[in-house]
Amino acid sequence: MNMFRQTLRLLWRDWVLEWRSSYALSGIILYVIATVVLVYSALLNIGPQLWNAIFWVILLFAAVSAIVKSFVQESQHRQLYYYSLVDPLALLAAKMIYNTLLLFGLSLLIWGMLALLTGNPVKETGLFVLAVFLGSMGLAIAFTFVSAISAKAQNSATLLAVLGFPIIVPILLTLVKIGANALGFIQDTSITGDLLILMAINLTLLSVAILLYPFLWRD
Amino acid sequence: MKVQNWILTALIFFFTLSSATAQSNSGDFMRSMGKMYVVVAVIVAVFMGIVLFLVFLDRRLTKIENQIKDHG
Amino acid sequence: MDRLIKKNWWKALGVLILLYVFVMGMLVPLKPGITQVTPSATRTNSQIVLDVQGYNTHFDEAKDTMRIWIKMDDEYILAATRITVKGPTQVEAAFEIPAYLPSDRRVQDFALVIDNHIDGAAVRPNALLVTQDSIDLAMGQTVWRSDRMENLHQLKGITFPFRNILGETIRNTYFHVSLWLAMMIIFTAAMVYSIKYLRKQERRFDHWAAALTTVGLLLGGLGLLTGAIWAEYTWGKFWSWDIKQFTTLIALLIYFAYFVLRRSFPDEAQQARISAVYNIFAFVALIPLIYVLPRLTDSLHPGNGGNPAFGSEDLDSTMRMVFYPAVIGWTLLSCWIASLLYRTAVIEEHLWDEEPTHD
Repeated sequence: MNMFRQTLRLLWRDWVLEWRSSYALSGIILYVIATVVLVYSALLNIGPQLWNAIFWVILLFAAVSAIVKSFVQESQHRQLYYYSLVDPLALLAAKMIYNTLLLFGLSLLIWGMLALLTGNPVKETGLFVLAVFLGSMGLAIAFTFVSAISAKAQNSATLLAVLGFPIIVPILLTLVKIGANALGFIQDTSITGDLLILMAINLTLLSVAILLYPFLWRD
Repeated sequence: MKVQNWILTALIFFFTLSSATAQSNSGDFMRSMGKMYVVVAVIVAVFMGIVLFLVFLDRRLTKIENQIKDHG
Repeated sequence: MDRLIKKNWWKALGVLILLYVFVMGMLVPLKPGITQVTPSATRTNSQIVLDVQGYNTHFDEAKDTMRIWIKMDDEYILAATRITVKGPTQVEAAFEIPAYLPSDRRVQDFALVIDNHIDGAAVRPNALLVTQDSIDLAMGQTVWRSDRMENLHQLKGITFPFRNILGETIRNTYFHVSLWLAMMIIFTAAMVYSIKYLRKQERRFDHWAAALTTVGLLLGGLGLLTGAIWAEYTWGKFWSWDIKQFTTLIALLIYFAYFVLRRSFPDEAQQARISAVYNIFAFVALIPLIYVLPRLTDSLHPGNGGNPAFGSEDLDSTMRMVFYPAVIGWTLLSCWIASLLYRTAVIEEHLWDEEPTHD
């Protein structure tokens, strides 16, 4: 089996697992809905600046709670068994792609919920979708790798937050800026530069993760 | 010397320093002589940082000493 | 590196360099400068007496060679008509402002230049704002071209540059800025040792990485603390979400997380390997911050957002003579401290090998 097919099969397996234990996914969706409704009923009138902040904050915490279980849900023994069957990098790639798609879906859900309750302040939809996708990718790459690290230790949920938050600061800051542009309350000509930086961050983190993962999985 | 004593000494030192500066309206004092005392404060801070490190190393070495004593 | 630990020459070198940095950094005087010019605004076609406050100046001793000008640029200059020295740091200069300015703006700013044979030339930018009632560029240019600023005196001896907001605190370059650079060098070295550990799987490389990271945290903490003190008296606030403050804060958070991670593994080989992986990943994740943040806000630090950079003006050749040794000195001292931590860790490891039941 080559790596590409392995990745696809693992991706499918992750999806099946998610559906079989659907309480995890529905928990996150419930979290998103509850947060959006709470924010809406507390503020009622949300300006674009606040909308931008709330959107990324909800996405960040949804990402943490969605990704924390990536490597924890399976026992160490079963993981060793997987590693003997497939390329470890295929496993990492499958998790990263799965988490990217999951986060992208979640962010569309958050966007939809916020738009439903407060109206849609996004002026440049294409730019915002691009930012959301690149952001989901960046958060997925960083948090997946960090969750692979923290899964090795006890108390991995807290550890994921402690290890992960400083790492994603550059991604989040860039996302907030692009978001501000897409919402139209900041006019900036260097927006292509920001998108390029976001892509560069994603690529760097991805390549470092691929380089380092062989040292991480074996135990 | 115990760690608590070290910390106490450091605290007393800081309080003496700050009360000495507070006597003559701290801001004006720090800004006098072309803000020279800002440089002094920075150097004192670096020095205190190195002292704090020494305390930390002292503790770690004491632990090792006790372990060797227990062992032999 | 392991052979160098037992050698003492580099430790002595580090201390000697720092001694040189302290002596030079504290004793070299500041260049004479102008701290205040009052009043700061006037109109055309008027007489004005400017009261000039100097710093480190010797106006009274150099009474005979005192010359004062206001200038728009190197071409349009006006000399003072009368100079009255009031003391070593105070002088009064009278100017007759012509009816027209050599500028087509209504309000034009002028720099004040003082020159004498003891203090050399001192400049105060934006010292005087002049408002003109009617604009006549050609007239203004002919009048303002009559005075020349020539044969400026060169100051003898070594001095540090005078910057108006900084004053003497320009010396903090050697005790704060150099700490920040040394921190970056130490964190990079720690990451190199993490890579070495992953390649060779030798325990001593992990000890080095941990020791260097501890020292890096010490340097970063001191950098933030000294920076906050300095910022309070120059920018007016301890903390202003400045780029470099922010980067250092995130770096400290990352390396705190590194130590949290280290403590959560009972198995030593696993601890070493996984913390090495995190160290490399976090270091790489930190680099984009240096590129991302300047795009978001202006920095108050030199070299960003319109502030003069340390290459050109702020860090003149005299300051370089102290600044670069300061970086080397702090780095060597940090390596010494790290080597102490490393040796302690090695001893601890031996002890635990002998006595495996002990905690």
